[in-house]
Amino acid sequence: MARIDGTSAFLARGLRTLALAVIVLFFLFPILWIVLMSFQTNEQILRIPPSLLFDPTIVNYRALISGKLVTAAGQLDLPFMRNLGNSVLLSSVSVLLSLVLGVPAAYAFARFRFRLGENIAFTLLSFRFAPPLLVLLPLSLYFQDLGLANTYTGLVWVYQLICLPLILWIVRGYFEDASPDIEYAYRVDGHSWWRAFTRIAIPLAGPGIAAAGLLAFIFAWNNFVFALILASADKQPVTVGALAFVTASGIQYGQIAAAIVLSILPTLALALYAQRWLVEGLSLGAVKG
Amino acid sequence: MDEKARDLFDAFVAGNVGRRELIRRAAALGIGAAAAGTFLNAAQSRALAADYNWKAHQGTALKLLLNKHPYADAMIADIESFKSLTGMSVTWDIFPEDVYFDKVTAALSSHSTEYDAFMTGAYQTWQYGPAGWLVDLNEYLRNGARTAPNYDWEGVLEGLRASTAWSGKPGDALGGAGAKQWCVPWGFELNNISYNQTIFDKVGVKVPKNLPEMLEIAAKITRDAGGPYGIGVRGSRSWATIHPGFLSGYTNYGGHDFVMQGGKLKAAMNSPQSKAFTKLWVEMIQQSGPKNWATYTWYQVGTDLGAGASGMIYDADILGYFMDGGDNKERGHLAYAAFAANPEATAPTANVWIWSLAMSNFSRKKDAAWDFIQWATGTDHLLYGARKQDMVNPVRTKVWEDPEFKEKIGKYPGYLDEYTETAPKAKIYFTPQPLFFNLTTDWAAALQQMVAKQIPVDEGLDKLAESINRQLKSAGLG
Amino acid sequence: MSDIAHPATSAARVHAAGPRAARLLPYLLSLPALLVCIGILVPFGTAAWYSLQRYNLAMPFMRGFVGFDTYLDFLGDPDFWNTVEVSAIYTAATVILELLLGLAIALLLRERSPLNNAISVALLLPLMTAPAIAALMWKLMTNPGFGVLSWLVSRFGLADFKWASDPHTAMLTVVLVDIWVYTPFIMILLLAGLRSLPTQPFEAARLDGVPARFVFFRITLPMLMPYIVTATLFRLLDSIQQFDIVYAMTQGGPGDSLMVFQVRAYLEFFQYTNVGRSAALMMILWALTYALSNVFVKQWLRLRERTHGAY
Repeated sequence: MARIDGTSAFLARGLRTLALAVIVLFFLFPILWIVLMSFQTNEQILRIPPSLLFDPTIVNYRALISGKLVTAAGQLDLPFMRNLGNSVLLSSVSVLLSLVLGVPAAYAFARFRFRLGENIAFTLLSFRFAPPLLVLLPLSLYFQDLGLANTYTGLVWVYQLICLPLILWIVRGYFEDASPDIEYAYRVDGHSWWRAFTRIAIPLAGPGIAAAGLLAFIFAWNNFVFALILASADKQPVTVGALAFVTASGIQYGQIAAAIVLSILPTLALALYAQRWLVEGLSLGAVKG
Repeated sequence: MDEKARDLFDAFVAGNVGRRELIRRAAALGIGAAAAGTFLNAAQSRALAADYNWKAHQGTALKLLLNKHPYADAMIADIESFKSLTGMSVTWDIFPEDVYFDKVTAALSSHSTEYDAFMTGAYQTWQYGPAGWLVDLNEYLRNGARTAPNYDWEGVLEGLRASTAWSGKPGDALGGAGAKQWCVPWGFELNNISYNQTIFDKVGVKVPKNLPEMLEIAAKITRDAGGPYGIGVRGSRSWATIHPGFLSGYTNYGGHDFVMQGGKLKAAMNSPQSKAFTKLWVEMIQQSGPKNWATYTWYQVGTDLGAGASGMIYDADILGYFMDGGDNKERGHLAYAAFAANPEATAPTANVWIWSLAMSNFSRKKDAAWDFIQWATGTDHLLYGARKQDMVNPVRTKVWEDPEFKEKIGKYPGYLDEYTETAPKAKIYFTPQPLFFNLTTDWAAALQQMVAKQIPVDEGLDKLAESINRQLKSAGLG
Repeated sequence: MSDIAHPATSAARVHAAGPRAARLLPYLLSLPALLVCIGILVPFGTAAWYSLQRYNLAMPFMRGFVGFDTYLDFLGDPDFWNTVEVSAIYTAATVILELLLGLAIALLLRERSPLNNAISVALLLPLMTAPAIAALMWKLMTNPGFGVLSWLVSRFGLADFKWASDPHTAMLTVVLVDIWVYTPFIMILLLAGLRSLPTQPFEAARLDGVPARFVFFRITLPMLMPYIVTATLFRLLDSIQQFDIVYAMTQGGPGDSLMVFQVRAYLEFFQYTNVGRSAALMMILWALTYALSNVFVKQWLRLRERTHGAY
């Protein structure tokens, strides 16, 4: 009996390892391939059949980072680093604003049962399902009138459509799972609700807030239609910037690959930094009891 | 530019200083050869100033909306000469081609005053013009006082001038009576054959003279070349699949997109000529087109030719031209030929794509914007672009006759002949109407279904015509 | 479920001081968020108004109020029903497969260990590559000549596999890309949920020798439900509005095989300048999403109440 158990446990572990290996391969192989491509010239990438053997080159990165692309016809300016900066700015400011607006609201929905409360919560969520294309044309008209066209302020506002609902719903769940008793005890000690909120509730929900913020950051980072339609070239994010390597005289695959790698790095850094909270933080009930 | 340099270049343009002397003295002033080209162009532009007040809008700041394209690159490389000619300042927003027209549509539909002039294709003006977003440039072209005397509008190829003018009435001929000039041609593409000489030699075939031959040769390449497939054409679900090789060959076979019946448009995609041509076309793609044809756009067609994955393409000549340089594996192995698809046709009927400059109706600096358009489409800048940059194909006959450009383009085997043979009948062969993008996209989708053998060609075209007639009717056009 | 146990009720206890302030407080806390979003409602209303007009930017002289005609036209239009069908298949396929796969991965990574944590962050990488750009790379990787994936499948005897270019495999291809991009999103939410589950019921089950399958279906799954519903809700909202992967890979083709809602609406607006039809299509999409989300949120609230009822 014990021996059979041992064998099947061994078998189970082997199967688990195999399954994980397949999964890691499926999800990371394309990334690995993109990283490899980023060190190749277009000529090396476009070989039949594709090959793993190549002389690595850093021309793609050099062109992107220096902003100068040398072509047969002369030197061209690449605003890629500016695009990257715009993405950092737009995504982080939007997420910060969403947190400032969303966390108190999430707290309200979690801690209070108030008239129209669920309706307001659902309305806020519903902004997530307004198809962006639907509001874009009227929005660009109104933005002209309001002077918000082609401003970072206008863009950050529109980005709330992406960030706010996500943060609101994840953080709300988190607050609901955290027991109110600790706050209650703190309030009984004679502290105001504001102190209870900032000193107890937020720190307890901190990891959840961080994780929701990270996911919202990723979704904001990947968006490109808002900036494309509502702002001029100097405010475009990296998603639009990377498309600049698709030109009439050919697709620069090496540079697109390098652009993807560079554009992943800030988010990856954030994810690694937040790793501790990322998984634990979304564990809505981790602080329960 | 500093005073001394300016005087020197002005003296050269006026004929007071010889070329050798110019180069010597320019070098003494510390001006390299590349910079000298730009300065010289600036000086030539100043020479224009004698008979037209280019400085009328001195100090005005213009903003352009541009597609990331070699034409725009060439213009930017030469922008100093415009600035010194007019004393205006110019800024621009460049957007990637993939999203460029989305940006234009968004900017114009929201009546944005940000952009004064922008790049457009002729087809797009069939929407933008009637929508009221464009200025009819005849207001300037037909007014002697508003256009520089040496602008030479007639020097632009006639077919291109006509193709960018339309009355706005669906079905009216391009460039016909009452036509408004919605934009000015800047650079254009002829749809012909670009082929890989190495592959052709290896398989032992010559350039096809007509569509049946093209089918044969493409099949032979696919069979014998040891990897590459025979013929690259576009196939994505987009209007862009219809307008290059497909429509050029279709027209050569006597096919029309629409016919006018009692002042109404009627679909003609299922005419006998159309069916005959489409059958061959579909068969050609099935036999020897790219395997992923239904996702093929300009980029994939070009990439395959440049990387040696295809034997030839039937697409824009400048696509072949671009693939003949840069870091493309097959650079130096490509050649060009005019193509008349119909064995009974006497000459090719190439449909053209024309990158043009248009003026936004919401611009607050229209007269200044017109000065920019004049300069950018004028002979001097186009000569500079054609000689020093990749401004092919030039829209002006004068540029084609320029020895320096001829020498440059002569290095591309067959290119000049291809142009000479095709240019006389090159124009837009679509019937202008506001549902252009809608109906050509449907057309491409129908082609995809035929190539995938989901529907036979005859039946597919009948269904397409029926659906298009229905749409025309509900839009009040048919 | 007892009243005392309900979080909202006990929270009311927390904030008992000053009845009026307590009544206003939740509104004060949630209104800023609402106000920032309410501005978006104005363009939304405008778009709804457009959908009731015959309104093609290229034919301004034809513009006029037509009521619900555009909507009624759709009902009799086979292309519209094709869009409904394609969108439904796409949404169902991606959400279900991603949910199953995400759950499986989360279960595999459930144990806390440095390796598992590292893998879970690494698996987020696909989510970090913008789909619009990643799709360009997928298009290259599935190219019959240069594509590494085409080369790989040709090793397995699928030399003629046409990926997104064949009507029979196009859906499969884009669903595959969607799975690649978005499964990590579900995985990370469910992993978090799994790791947060209380340990007692599982230990008790182990001591009692309850079979693993029973533990999974009777304990793990029900306790994980709120997380599954949240993850599904957000995936559903995004998936039904899928645009960039499908458009970048196939532009809705071949034929009409991938004409999902947003691709059709995008074409109607940006290429055909038909504002009226585009707006009507998206109003329908919005209504569908609204109805679906309503169901999910109700379910979510019910599940949460049940969970908290068990305190």
